[in-house]
Amino acid sequence: MRSTKGIMTVAAAVALAVYFAALTGPAIAAAGDVKNGETVYMKKCWWCHGKEGEADGPGADFMIPPPRNFADGVYKYRSSAPDSDLPRDEDLFRMISDGMPGTSMPAWSKVLDEKQRWDLVAYIKSLTDMFEDMENPPEMAYPSPAPSSPDSIAKGKQLFKDAKCFECHGEGGKGNTIKKLKEESGAKLWPRNLTQPWTFRGGNDPKDIYARITSGIPNTPMPAHAAEKTGAGKLSVEDRWHVVNYVMSLADSRMEVKEGEIVVKGVYRETLPTDENDPAWDIAEGTTFFLVPQIIQDERIYDPSNNGILVKSTFTDKEVAFLLEWDDRTRSVKGDPTSAMLAWGALGSDGVAIQTPLDLDNLASGKPYFGHGDASRPVSMMYWNSGDVEKGQSGSMFSTIGSGKKDVSDAAAAGFVSTGSYKDGTWKVMMRRNLVTDAKDKDTQFAAGKYIPIAFANWDGSNGEIGSKHTLTTWRWLLLKPETGSAVVMVPLMVFVLLVAGQFIFSVVGRKED
Amino acid sequence: MKLLKPWITVLVGYLLLKFGVPLVGSVLHPGTWPVVPTSVMKMYVFFMVAGALLINSFSEEGYNASIGPVMDLYTNPAKGRLRMGVILVVGLFGAYVAYQYVKPTFDAPVELRSVHPAPPSAAKAWGKSYNLQTLKNPFREDTANLAKHSEEGGKVYYQNCYFCHGDMMLGKGPYAEGFNPMPANFVDIGTIAQLTESFVFWRISTGGPGLPSEGTPWISAMPIWHHLLSEEEVWKVIIFLYDYTGHKPRVMAEHH
Ligand code: HEC
Ligand code: HEC
Ligand code: HEC
Repeated sequence: MRSTKGIMTVAAAVALAVYFAALTGPAIAAAGDVKNGETVYMKKCWWCHGKEGEADGPGADFMIPPPRNFADGVYKYRSSAPDSDLPRDEDLFRMISDGMPGTSMPAWSKVLDEKQRWDLVAYIKSLTDMFEDMENPPEMAYPSPAPSSPDSIAKGKQLFKDAKCFECHGEGGKGNTIKKLKEESGAKLWPRNLTQPWTFRGGNDPKDIYARITSGIPNTPMPAHAAEKTGAGKLSVEDRWHVVNYVMSLADSRMEVKEGEIVVKGVYRETLPTDENDPAWDIAEGTTFFLVPQIIQDERIYDPSNNGILVKSTFTDKEVAFLLEWDDRTRSVKGDPTSAMLAWGALGSDGVAIQTPLDLDNLASGKPYFGHGDASRPVSMMYWNSGDVEKGQSGSMFSTIGSGKKDVSDAAAAGFVSTGSYKDGTWKVMMRRNLVTDAKDKDTQFAAGKYIPIAFANWDGSNGEIGSKHTLTTWRWLLLKPETGSAVVMVPLMVFVLLVAGQFIFSVVGRKED
Repeated sequence: MKLLKPWITVLVGYLLLKFGVPLVGSVLHPGTWPVVPTSVMKMYVFFMVAGALLINSFSEEGYNASIGPVMDLYTNPAKGRLRMGVILVVGLFGAYVAYQYVKPTFDAPVELRSVHPAPPSAAKAWGKSYNLQTLKNPFREDTANLAKHSEEGGKVYYQNCYFCHGDMMLGKGPYAEGFNPMPANFVDIGTIAQLTESFVFWRISTGGPGLPSEGTPWISAMPIWHHLLSEEEVWKVIIFLYDYTGHKPRVMAEHH
């Protein structure tokens, strides 16, 4: 009798314990198994983060930002109460699970189950003594968010200036810094482009941005702004929410690559825009392409800064024009002291190139190699660069049969014009030339109505990008869409008339036969 | 009923193309849903409908049953209203189809490629010629040191390959989206799991430009690794790819 009762009591206690364990999520975290974590780490993580967690794995030198140093125990993205130096277990779990956009750190939830990810949290915490005998810190409070409104955004905009966010993030938030920034370790660091929330690493919810402003980003110069009262670079709770609303309002999806969009849409016009800032460009619809670093042939580049390029095109019966627009944190002009102060490595010029196959009638058997073509299939280039302080910007046209094998073309004879200007973290460059030229052996002969392979290259001169070290796209398409004019209306109309008339005749003839 | 049969066949055929093909694809390559391109779909549907019409008009009875009501509609004086309506609807439908053809679009052309073209019998790299029929991975026999070779191969991978093929070998590296075709997914059973080590060696050494024309040359961004790595490094990265994913290289059947 008594023993049954005892078993019942124990069972009830166990049930209760399980119930409470289930209620308090972090209990799983505490249960993370260091040993299991180590096994997974030694298979998946050490390649970047290093065998001892010292951020010195074989891959570590081939990425910017560099991997986190777990032996230091300083983490960038945390939601812990501001008086704590440590991230919460949930923060580590989230970074491991969701990954960090725009970095080499992927979302491990794709291949590791929840238990394995908690085991990893436990393991990486064991690589430093920072967490020894420490409780998991409480979550920060997110008191009374100010709802977004034009008024709040306007206040946020002013505070963005007052709190000096703009010094690093730029007036319009594009990350066009006025200071050269480094991680604690000395590694190259570019501030975030706040108009591209899809590149935020700690999430882009208002709460996430509030957390970043409140606690800053450890390991980097991005400061914590939490204070009772606004002033001296600090922000009160209410003001932090205004800044959050302002940051949210900066989002601009124009520079976001839309899946499946691979065609530059060339529209027909009577006249071409005169330069890159002509409002006439507004009517043309742009296409944005992902810029990837040149990691295909030597010299390769592993730490690009620019990530996308928006392209528009219009053409007339005689000429074609392109507008190339990209976010670039630095205006790099050789000999310019401001450029030199911000530059990593030798300062080069910013530049951009458009590549098309030289012979458009010979594409059935294949396109030229996307990296400068080859002897059997040359390519033709239009190139612009920001130049230097003395001579200013310049452009040129040439054809190539492989890297470094170029044959300069007579740009003036081709009617080639290129102009560029930089404003608030964005370059806009226009290139224009005649559709058809005399130099058939050097220049692409453009024609409306056919799909033309097109590729782009981009150089950020303040990021050590020079020569073969640049970003690029592989082949995309350009379609100079002929003016459809009357055909769009006439062809369906004709079909309609023919069909109706045909049926009439059919029915009349049929009735007669009856 | 008999006349319905061909139409039911058309419907079944359509559903197979629309959902069956992608379903098979998604089983073979988990995580994908490879739809039949619209242009190809249009062609198949056209032939199926034409076939059904043809079959139905073979017999006298079939001819009367399918054509009879049509003739009645167009000639029966009592059906004047309905006739007008049908004439208009047919006309409008034709105009709509015509508009679909001439309306301005910027749809990209469809490009097809063979993923695993037949390899050449010999490959050239590092200034040498390799017989791909007999070529073996020199490190595979050295079972005692396989773990060491794999780790060295891993270093090659994280310094050269992960940008495209990804930290998790899923073909989703940080720059993968910039390339078309997409980098190969090594975890998928459709890539290294069904290839021999000599084939993989050929693909890595000669890269995209080394593909024969069925692989649409010059489009794959896969670098020519014999320009950038040593022969040993390539064999070691192959050991690593199989070790990390747990796949076994395919072994060439011995010909007797
Ligand atoms: C291919 C390289 C690579 C691999 C493999 C990798 N990481 Fe990372 N990881 C990074 C980089 C780079 C960063 C830093 C990103 C930054 O600073 O913005 C990072 C950051 C982190 C952070 C820090 C987040 C923070 O808030 O500071 C954690 C935690 C982390 N990684 C865990 C892991 C775990 C666990 C694994 C294995 C399952 C792993 N990483 C595998 C590259 C990698
Ligand atoms: C001293 C320079 C500096 C100042 C001042 C600064 N930031 Fe930053 N901020 C940075 C850097 C650098 C990063 C990127 C850190 C990284 O990638 O590791 C960053 C990142 C961010 C991010 C992105 C977080 C993520 O999840 O990716 C946001 C949002 C942000 N800052 C907002 C602000 C706001 C708002 C202010 C003013 C209240 C501000 N910053 C002030 C340098 C600064
Ligand atoms: C610039 C991006 C890029 C890099 C870097 C890269 N690859 Fe590739 N790789 C690709 C693409 C794209 C494909 C798919 C097209 C093809 O088959 O060529 C591919 C295909 C392959 C294949 C063929 C798989 C199959 O099923 O046929 C192998 C094997 C391979 N890569 C191995 C490697 C190795 C090993 C490295 C590093 C030494 C590497 N790749 C680096 C882009 C890349």
